[in-house]
Amino acid sequence: MKRLLVLFSILALGIVFVSFTLSQTSPASVQMPDNVKAAIDKSCFGCHNSASQNVKAKEKLDFSTLSSLSKAAQIGKYREIGETIKNGEMPPKKFLDNNPDKKLTEEETKLLIKWAEGEVKNLMKK
Amino acid sequence: MKKIKIAGLVLAGIFIVIQFFRPELNNGGLGENNILTKEQLPEAIGAMLKHSCFDCHSNQTNYPWYDRIAPASWMVAQHIKEGKKQLNLSDWGSKDVIDKVTILGGIRDEVKSGSMPLPAYTLIHRDAKLSKDQVNEMILWTDKFGEELLAKEE
Repeated sequence: MKRLLVLFSILALGIVFVSFTLSQTSPASVQMPDNVKAAIDKSCFGCHNSASQNVKAKEKLDFSTLSSLSKAAQIGKYREIGETIKNGEMPPKKFLDNNPDKKLTEEETKLLIKWAEGEVKNLMKK
Repeated sequence: MKKIKIAGLVLAGIFIVIQFFRPELNNGGLGENNILTKEQLPEAIGAMLKHSCFDCHSNQTNYPWYDRIAPASWMVAQHIKEGKKQLNLSDWGSKDVIDKVTILGGIRDEVKSGSMPLPAYTLIHRDAKLSKDQVNEMILWTDKFGEELLAKEE
C-alpha cells in the first residue's frame, strides 16, 4: 500500500513537472515558419507568453499555450492576431515609444497578417 | 452664507441646463438577428447575456431612471457606443462562423479576466454582476458552443 502511494506521488510530481516545463516553452511550441517566428519573437512574445509580467497581455493571447486551446478558440485567436496587426493596434504605441526597435516592419506586418489568416483557413479545413 | 446659496443655485441651474443635452437612446429593439432569436441557447446563458451584456452589446438598452440623467446619461451613452463597436449581439445572425467563434473567444477572455461586465457598470447594476459559477458556466459554454458551430459547418 505504502509503495503504491510513493509510486503515485512520483507520478503526480512527474506530471506537474512536465506541464510546468511545457508552459515555459517558447512560441516554437506553436509550429510556424522561421520568418514568422522571428517577427513574433521580436515584437509579440515578450508580453504574450505564460511567464509574462503583463497579465492583461497574456490573458488575451499566450503563444505558449495557444496550441492547447480548442479549435474554435484557436481560430478566434488567429483571427484576432490578424485583425489587431491589420489595424495597427499591436504592438501598442506606448510600448513602441520606449522600444522603437520592436516595431514591425511593413514586410513583417504583411507576413504576420498572411500567416494568421492562413492559420484560420487551415484550422477551418481540419 | 449668501455665497453658498448662490453657488447652490448656480449648480442647480447647470444641472437643469445639462438635462437638455440628451444623448440618443439605444432602443431600436433586439432585432431579428440577435443571438437569442438565432440560436437555441441554454436558459442560464441567455439570461446572463440579457442581464449582463445586452445593455451595451445590443440594439436595446434597458435604462433605469438614473441612467437617463445627465451627466450619467453621457457616460452611459459612451459605454454603449464603445460596447456596440466591439460587439453587437443584435448582429449575430449576419456573422459568418469565423466571426462567431472569434466573438465567443472574446466573450470567454473578457468574462474570465473579469474585464466584463465592466466593473463601473456592475457597481450600479448589481444584478448584472456574474458570480464565479456563472463565469465558469459562461467559459464552458463559449468553448462548447464554438465547437458546435464549427461542427455544423463541416
